[in-house]
Amino acid sequence: MTECIQVGQQVPDFSLTTFDPKTNDFGSFNLAENGKAGRWSLLFFYPADFTFV
Amino acid sequence: MTVSTDTQFTHLAWHREEKELANVKYMMGADTTGAVAKMFGCYLDDAGLSLRGTYLVSPDGKLMNSLVNFLNMGRNIEELLRMLKANLYLAKKTDEGCPSKWKDDGDQTLKPSAAMVGKVHEALKN
Repeated sequence: MTECIQVGQQVPDFSLTTFDPKTNDFGSFNLAENGKAGRWSLLFFYPADFTFV
Repeated sequence: MTVSTDTQFTHLAWHREEKELANVKYMMGADTTGAVAKMFGCYLDDAGLSLRGTYLVSPDGKLMNSLVNFLNMGRNIEELLRMLKANLYLAKKTDEGCPSKWKDDGDQTLKPSAAMVGKVHEALKN
């Protein structure tokens, strides 16, 4: 297991390509940009699309 | 936002096909290398998949909460809402703490003090 972030620590910035259901188009997400806008980021990981629970 | 190791194309196809996702409005991120999942510690190297990890990051970039379910256990919105509400509340009231029974704004919080040491039971009854 690679070393990972602990609660209370600073999260290194990252970007992800996204699908945005609101525009029905592709886009991107950047953690620092979202934070600068005063927003919290809730990241919700799951194993794979088309899984069940 | 949601994140899996699928591509944005698969996200689109899943969102279009699965009626349970009809009301999903948040962005769906494509972590195809698993790099972000590895950073948060929810990536399963042997399976090439991510566990059901939920992470809350504050606007100043700090990881404030982490909840990880195994592959076969879905997340419950009531559980997550309490966690979210408490974190938003505590970000504003930095000298307070949310006790275990805290559910929402207006519920009793605790301000740690010398007088309260060993007297949490009495403090909670007030």
